This record gives sequence, C-alpha cells and structure tokens, in this order.
Amino acid sequence: MGGVLIRPIILTVCIYLFLKFIVPILPHSAPLPSSLIFLYLMLVMSGSVLFATLSGESKDAFFQPILRFLTGESGGALSSARYLVLALFPLLVGWQTYGSTASSDAPPGENRTIHPAPPGEYTGLSNPVPKTPENIMYGKGLYASRCAPCHGNFDGKGFAAAGFTPPPANFKDPTTIAMLQESYLFWRIKKGGVGLPVEGMPWKTAMPRWELEMSDEDIWKVIMGEYDGAGQKPRTWDESE
Amino acid sequence: MARVRRVGKRWWVGAVGLLGLCVAAEVQPAYSQQSVAVRAGLVKGPLPAEDPTAAAWATASVSEFPMSPQVHWPVRITDVTAKSVKVRGLHDGTNVAILLEYSDPSEDPDDAAALEFMVGDTKAHFAHGQPMAQVEGGPVNIWYWKNKDGKGSDLGAKGFGTLKPHGHQDVKAKGVYQGGVWKVVFSRPLSTEHVAEDTQFKPGEFGSIAFAVWDGKKTESGQPKEKGSEKAISSWWYFRADAPPDYSPYMYALLAVGLALGFEMALVRRLKKGS
Repeated sequence: MGGVLIRPIILTVCIYLFLKFIVPILPHSAPLPSSLIFLYLMLVMSGSVLFATLSGESKDAFFQPILRFLTGESGGALSSARYLVLALFPLLVGWQTYGSTASSDAPPGENRTIHPAPPGEYTGLSNPVPKTPENIMYGKGLYASRCAPCHGNFDGKGFAAAGFTPPPANFKDPTTIAMLQESYLFWRIKKGGVGLPVEGMPWKTAMPRWELEMSDEDIWKVIMGEYDGAGQKPRTWDESE
Repeated sequence: MARVRRVGKRWWVGAVGLLGLCVAAEVQPAYSQQSVAVRAGLVKGPLPAEDPTAAAWATASVSEFPMSPQVHWPVRITDVTAKSVKVRGLHDGTNVAILLEYSDPSEDPDDAAALEFMVGDTKAHFAHGQPMAQVEGGPVNIWYWKNKDGKGSDLGAKGFGTLKPHGHQDVKAKGVYQGGVWKVVFSRPLSTEHVAEDTQFKPGEFGSIAFAVWDGKKTESGQPKEKGSEKAISSWWYFRADAPPDYSPYMYALLAVGLALGFEMALVRRLKKGS
C-alpha cells in the first residue's frame, strides 16, 4: 500500500535531481532558477496526486499511509519520523514567515539590457573600408593601443578591466560581437558608454566615446581587427532577403 | 512478505530523508555583501569620524572593491597604483563615517582619495554624472580628500569639467599613512538641508557609491603620477547605513510557529477521531 506513496516521492526526488544537477551539464544548457525548479516539482506533485486519486481505491491507497503516519499508527521507525515532521513543520512555517518579513540584506536588483537597440541612423550600415590584410592589421594595431587595456586579447580580460562592472565585453564569447552587425559595433565604439539609451541602464559602462579620438574610418578598421582577432564573423542580413 | 514491507518502509524513510537533503541543498548560503555593498553598522558609542585608526573600525564589516584606471575620459591613464580599496562604514544615527583603506608604496603630498554618490532619486553615470546622449541623468556628490590639504571637501558635478566645491562644506576627512597603507576616513551628517546637492542617507535604504584614488608620487617630469582624470576608479557599488534593529520579524515568526502548531494538533486530533 505504501508503494503508492513511495513512487511519487521517488519520482519527485528524481525529477529534482535531474533538474538541479543533470540539466546544467547538458550541452548548451544552464542552471535552472530555483523558482522554475519549484514550479516543475509542483507540477509533478500535482500530477501525482491527480493520478493517485483517479479512483476511490487508489485514493485510499494514496492517503491511508499519510493518515496512518500523521496519527502515529504506523509505529516503528516511522513513529520517530512522525515526531520529527510534526516538529519541523511549525519551524519551517516560522522560518518562512521570518524570511518574508525581515528586511533584505541584498541590494536592489538591476535590470540591464545588454544589447539595447541602436538609434536608427546606426542600423544596417555596412563597413565602407575594404577588408584587406593591411586594413585588418591596422585595425588590430589600434585595438592593441586603445581597446586591449580593458578588452585584453579579445577576451575581456585586459589588465585594466578588474574594477569595471559590468566587465568589458569578451569578443570571443559567441553571444557578443558574433551576434551583432558591424553597424552595431560602430555605434557602440563611436558613442561609448554615454551613448547608451535609457534601457541601457545602469550606466556603469566605462566605454570611452571614441568619436572624440578616432575617425570613423579608423573605427571601421578596429571593428575588422576585432572580428579577425576574436575569430568571429559579424552577423549579416541573409542575402536572399 | 513482512520483510518486503520493512524494506518498503525503509525506502519511504530514505526517500523522505533524500527529499529533506534536496530541500537543504536549495537553501542558499547567506547573501554576501562583501563585494557589492558597503554596510555601515549602527554604533551606540562615539563615532570614529576623525580617527582612521580607532579600534571601533575593527567592529565594522569590510568590503573590498577592485579599482581600474580611468579610461572613459580622453585624459586617461592605463596603469594605476591602487588595485583595490577596502571600505568600512559606521553611523550613529546622526553622522556617518566611511573608512577607505588602500596600499600606496609612498606617502606624497598629492596623494588623494574620493567617494562619489548619486544625489536624489535620479540615476547618474558613474563618470562624474556625465549626461548621456539620450538621458540627462542626475548630479553626483563627491567627497574629496588630499593629503596636503589635510581636510575634506564637499564637491558636486554633473558631467566632465563641471566639478566644483559646494557653497556649503559638510564633509570632514582625515588620512593616516602607516606601513604603506593609507587609511582615510570621511564623515558627514546622514542628512543635510542641501538635498539638491548632497546625497542623503536613509538608514536601511541602499544608495550608490563609487571610489577614486590618486597616487601623488612625483614623476621625473615633476608632475604627480596620477592627477585630475588620471586616477584609479571604480564604477557604482552599493552603500547602506543600517537601520536600527527591528525585532518584529521574530515576533511574526513566533506567532506563525504557534499557529502552525495549533493547526497541526487540531488536524491530528481530528484524524485520530475520524480513524
């Protein structure tokens, strides 16, 4: 009879272990937030209860062990477990109440749009500089003197990067320049941190406004050097479109 | 058959235990503020507002923040002396004191340090409140100390080139150099009447804070190694003056425990009666 209850418990535990420890190590995956894991477990448990109570017989088989446990009729080791559960439940409620009423020590969260939309005039521009080995090398030279202190060897780990939050972009990361068009980089390099729109908060970026120190042509060459050095290609419009 | 049932019960207990472990695994460790916020604790005795070496500072929690060269503005530097700053805070309900501590191989007259705060509720860029292309942002309040001046200055800025002393000077500062380390304490009343120029500290609420340090060691040119916008900086972090202790959450928790216990006992009693 107890098996009817054991199965959903084991299923819930297995699902939890899968979501918590297996999903994060799957290719192209990431750790799931606790709230999402909790939601999935609630779904599993709700489904289990529904399944177990489809008929009167299965309902009794499901609830009887719980009732026997709570009333102390199970006896044996379960009797000790019963006292433990009866003692832990009020403490858990008290803990949750404290957690929801005590003031938080955590600073307020910040919403940050990593790649805010550029102004219209910087959308869809194509690099006017011929992609020659000379221009790429020239761009890399500019990168070494202007960008590398923070962005490092295209990996965002320059010697001057430590104090900046958010950290300088890692161009080798496939979620940075590889998913952006050259025109987007042109905007960000030319206008820098102060060029960010409202949604680009919290305005902590130290990116210089390079239009004060570099010509547009040099900025385009830096972009070419950046993509070449990072081993990435800019995102482009599909030629069939 | 009886053996099978016992095994089943052990499974049951084991499964509950495993579930308990899973719940325990979900309990996150206490949030560490060490790297994102400065927390100024409330003290009952005198505030060490003018003594960077006071024993009271040992009771304050310490936060450490990495520093970078200022690169945002064209007059920049790419290597700075101060790689990080340790920061402590204390307040007594009326005044707040913030201790900045950082390594510097030499004591020089032009050594300097500063704290920066946003003013009011308007967000500001950490680089002197430089207006953004699409958002003006708000001003910043800067507390500045220079070794040779031997005092604190209360400054304001809203963009590069706009830094100027306030007409009122509420900030005090004192630095002590010991064993290759600068300890500089800044202090000011938590609130002032100049709300448009001064940052206001409301105990229990988080505000923004940033740091700057200048190594004033003379170079061969006779100029300080770091000066003006050539300095070590941080971007925005958080600052909070602790609120007075609030015991009401403990009362609520105790009440909840009592209610849960009552519910539990009533439920078991009802179940026993039913069975």
